[in-house]
Amino acid sequence: MNSLNDYLPIGIQLIVALGFVVTTMVATALLGPKRKSKKKDEIFECGIESTGNARVPFSIKYFLVAILFVLFDVEVIFMYPWAVNFRELGLQGFLEMLVFIAFLLAGLIYIIKKGALKWE
Amino acid sequence: MINAAWLIPLLPLVGFLINALGKKWLSKNIVSVVACGSVLGSFVIAAGIFIGLLGGAGAQTLSLGELMNAGGFSVSLSLLIDPLSVLMTLIITGIGFFIHVYSVGYMSHDEGFARYFSYLNLFVFSMLMLVLGANYILMFVGWEGVGFCSYLLIGFWFGDNANNDAAKKAFVMNRIGDVGFLTGIFLIFITFGSIEYAQVFSSAAAMPAGLAVITTITLLLFIGATGKSAQIPLFTWLPDAMAGPTPVSALIHAATMVTAGIYMIVRSNILFTLAPITMEVITYVGVATALLGAFVAITQNDIKKVLAYSTVSQLGYMFVAVGVGAYSTGMFHLITHAFFKALLFLGAGSVIHAMSGEQDIRKMGGLKKDLPVTYLTFLAGVLAIVGLPPFSGFFSKDEILAKVFEHSTVLAVVMVITFMMTAFYIFRMFFLVFFGGFRGSEKQKSHLHESPAVMTAPLIVLAVLAVAGGFINVPETLFGHHALANFLEPVLRPSLAIIFSEEPSHATEYMLMAIAIAGTLVMFAVAYSRYLTKSHVPAASEKEQSFLYRLSSRKGYIDEFYDMIIRKPLDWISSVLNDVFDKNIFDRIVNSVGELVVVGSGVARLLQTGKLGFYLFIMVAGITAMLFFNFMF
Amino acid sequence: MNALLVLSIAGLAALFSGFSHNKKLAVIVSLLGLAVAFTVNVLDWNTAVRYYNDMIFVDNYAIAFTGVMALTMLLIVALFVDYKESVEVPNAEIFALLFFSLAGGVMLVSYSNLLMLFLGIEILSIPLYILAGSKRHTLTSNEAAIKYFLLGAFASAFLLFGIVLIYGVTASFHIETIAAYIKNANGQPPALLVAGMFMLIGGLGFKISAAPFHFWTPDVYQGSPTIVTTFMSTVVKTAGIAAFYRLFAYAFPAITAEWIPTISVLAALTMTVGNVTAVFQSSVKRMLAYSGIAHAGYLLIAFVSISSNPASSVLYYLIAYAVSTVCAFAVLMVIQHTTGSEEVDGFKGLSKRSPFLAFITTVAFISLAGIPPTAGFFAKFYLFSGAVKAGHLWLTIIAVLNSCIAIYYYFRVITAVYSEGTDSTPVELGTVQKAVMIITAVLAVALGLFPEMIISLL
Repeated sequence: MNSLNDYLPIGIQLIVALGFVVTTMVATALLGPKRKSKKKDEIFECGIESTGNARVPFSIKYFLVAILFVLFDVEVIFMYPWAVNFRELGLQGFLEMLVFIAFLLAGLIYIIKKGALKWE
Repeated sequence: MINAAWLIPLLPLVGFLINALGKKWLSKNIVSVVACGSVLGSFVIAAGIFIGLLGGAGAQTLSLGELMNAGGFSVSLSLLIDPLSVLMTLIITGIGFFIHVYSVGYMSHDEGFARYFSYLNLFVFSMLMLVLGANYILMFVGWEGVGFCSYLLIGFWFGDNANNDAAKKAFVMNRIGDVGFLTGIFLIFITFGSIEYAQVFSSAAAMPAGLAVITTITLLLFIGATGKSAQIPLFTWLPDAMAGPTPVSALIHAATMVTAGIYMIVRSNILFTLAPITMEVITYVGVATALLGAFVAITQNDIKKVLAYSTVSQLGYMFVAVGVGAYSTGMFHLITHAFFKALLFLGAGSVIHAMSGEQDIRKMGGLKKDLPVTYLTFLAGVLAIVGLPPFSGFFSKDEILAKVFEHSTVLAVVMVITFMMTAFYIFRMFFLVFFGGFRGSEKQKSHLHESPAVMTAPLIVLAVLAVAGGFINVPETLFGHHALANFLEPVLRPSLAIIFSEEPSHATEYMLMAIAIAGTLVMFAVAYSRYLTKSHVPAASEKEQSFLYRLSSRKGYIDEFYDMIIRKPLDWISSVLNDVFDKNIFDRIVNSVGELVVVGSGVARLLQTGKLGFYLFIMVAGITAMLFFNFMF
Repeated sequence: MNALLVLSIAGLAALFSGFSHNKKLAVIVSLLGLAVAFTVNVLDWNTAVRYYNDMIFVDNYAIAFTGVMALTMLLIVALFVDYKESVEVPNAEIFALLFFSLAGGVMLVSYSNLLMLFLGIEILSIPLYILAGSKRHTLTSNEAAIKYFLLGAFASAFLLFGIVLIYGVTASFHIETIAAYIKNANGQPPALLVAGMFMLIGGLGFKISAAPFHFWTPDVYQGSPTIVTTFMSTVVKTAGIAAFYRLFAYAFPAITAEWIPTISVLAALTMTVGNVTAVFQSSVKRMLAYSGIAHAGYLLIAFVSISSNPASSVLYYLIAYAVSTVCAFAVLMVIQHTTGSEEVDGFKGLSKRSPFLAFITTVAFISLAGIPPTAGFFAKFYLFSGAVKAGHLWLTIIAVLNSCIAIYYYFRVITAVYSEGTDSTPVELGTVQKAVMIITAVLAVALGLFPEMIISLL
């Protein structure tokens, strides 16, 4: 079990991290003043009066667009490290990135042909 | 020609496949041509090889590959072409071809036409494998194959349960024999380390006579032979086997399959020669069977039953011959018997055909006017089987008698008595069928007709063979030179070197011939006066019959005897085992195991709650348990 | 490796062929893609090349299993040619997802890096989550999808945890480096590495549905469309077992003492749970799910006796199992389609309705039960005799007893087939469907007669 000793710093950090969170939360709850009123307990929504429950079913289209956005957003994230190492990766890296983009492009074409982005 | 030998068994196999697969589509003409043509093709090739052998070509083993090879046990797929196997092949394909042709007429109205011919071709294939195989395994394969085909053909008209019972009886009786045969083969392999004829026989030839192991092997093989060739104690299936179509009786249960036992003994002659005890057993069993068969045949009223018991009896003759070491004599009688018995069966078939299916000879009579061809050919068969010169049976029977006489005078006397009984029942049947007045119904009478040419032609050919077949082995006494014996000499050489054989003096032989002929003539006279002059017809009721008569007509009470000493005790033992052990102990154990599993399954099923949380819990618990047990212990 | 590319592109092609008006196009494209993938795969035989900085190692082992998976999927897809009504979603998407899943499977049999193992598992699984739920308007299908997804995510977590622990000890993801590290440890591997290995057993055990990680199997198999169930119980099982075996054959052969007892217990538990529970099932589909669990248990025996059970006997077993299972499911689909039921009772009277189907069913279930002369028998024979050689007598006895139980429930179907049924309308079969059944049934027997064809491969 020698190797467990190597993990001691990590364990200490874990305890410190958890301890910090717990301590501050408990401290603020105990130390802070508590004044309650009807207005204060209301849900705050940019100053507009809130209506109904927040968990209402909404159109799947919002969800779809959001998911698709995330997808292509992540695509770009992959391109950063590649761009940084562009010279080192050379022609092969370039081709691989082309394949990657091509697959995603195919996906985009599919989505458009399927009509997932039509808003009616 | 010899290189084409592999085609001999292949052609009937192809015929079988074509007819079996095409039985729904092929017309009767095509079926007939395929079935008969394939057998004829085999015959032609066999004849070519035969001529080659006559011209001095030596025996040859034709290797076609390996059947199996497991551990030290290998079986070659090879054919042995020697005088013995070629002779058998000629009989099987030659007589087989004529019986196929005859069947085209006989079965022409039957719905199962193509099925019938496919079975028949399969039979010919199996029989050819039996005689051509170059080792005991191939012989056993053919042996089982012919048994199976025999089963199929006895029960060919499976609409009638009696036929199925007969088929089952034949199968079971044969299985009992097969146990002996198979055990014998095992023992051969253990003793000689091979089941190839070449190795077995050459090692056996170097062994001394009378070894216990050889005696055991040959006794076991002989048990197999008693099953297949209907000898005491396993002969009872053969008369029942007459339930099949008559051409089948002629081919399988007279000419070929039932002689497989003889073939096997002659093939293994060196082994048997080295086992004098077995030879004695074979002789006595043969004599007893010959006598019993003839005795029972005397009172049978079914034309096919008479011929069936006659076959049992005649097979007994052959066993007597091989039992006294006269292998070529046994083969000789096998050949002549194949000719005349096939002829008699086919003639009987022709009679039955004319009588619209009637088989009771008491209802026949005077048929010679309406069935002239059948009558004349049948007559040839009758004269051959009773052994009047110069018909074929005379030569072979006489040779057997001579060899037996040399061996033991008492047995020779018994044989003469058997000959006389044979003459009596044959003439009795012959007179009742063809002479006197017609005793059947008016309807049958109006329907009487000679069979078509496709049926009479084979009869004529077989009649010629039955008349002339004896000339293939004329003894020196009658100015011949034992042609058949000389032809078979290469196969029997090792045995002939051991058996010291003294030819009986010519005077003795003449005397024996005279006795046999005289006995036959006496019996002819007795039968003539009883059934022609006095027009005696056997009574239907048993009451007025003597004990001996009843003993004969009830087939020696053998079936009842077997029932009493074998079936009843077995039934009793199995009912006790069933009621006491099986139901109360084994069933209960087995059933409780089964019930336990079902109950367990019901419980295990409950674990499958369908709740995700529970599944997750079990997964985590599983991994935890794995870690726990591996690090704690 | 080229197979991986072909499969990805074929998946895309199948996806886009869905836009054609010709509904059969997707099927044809898929069959073509699979045939090309198989050919390209076989062409790599005996080359053993390492790709992607040694993350993927395409050796004969990988090629053999890739070939099996591609052919199995080919047979399954061929069933689609005559079958359109059985699956609600447009066919093209199903095919594309099956292709992507298969691509994951290919990674699983050819990885030499634990990251590739993880990626393979995810690429294999994610399309399956969708496929399981592809009968959108059926509640059981939805349930199957969500259960499979949640439990699968959990299992992936275990797997990842295991990989991380092993990386923590050895500082490598590469299975051969890990093996070298273990070898240097002289039989005293660090506890964290062993713990990581057990996590991997848990994660992979889930994929091959080994007890006690099997609970998802019956629910998911039953809820999914039958064609997806067929894919899961053949291709996915092949991939899972092959990945599992590769891991233990390459990475942990030096510490067999650590994992053999555990896997023995898992094997015994898995086959017993699978077989015993299958006895009570009245739904054939669910019964086949339990039987799949049981077969995973038998296959785990190969791991335990890894010294005397080479990869070839695992390959042979998986082929025999895949062939028989595809055959059984093909019949089941016909029964479902004509009677609307997947119960054992639905098979009643089949011998009257279609003697052909009755015969095919008999062959398939006899092979699954492991009765000679079928491939199922020899597969078990090789596995069990290997186990005896390695000295695992007790495990073999348990396995044989389990085989006896299995005969009971497999023969319930066969007896149903030959018993009197109420329905007597003849069953009509498509030509291709019939061909698939004949091919699988013939293979089930032919492989039994000539096992050397497969055994001599690896």
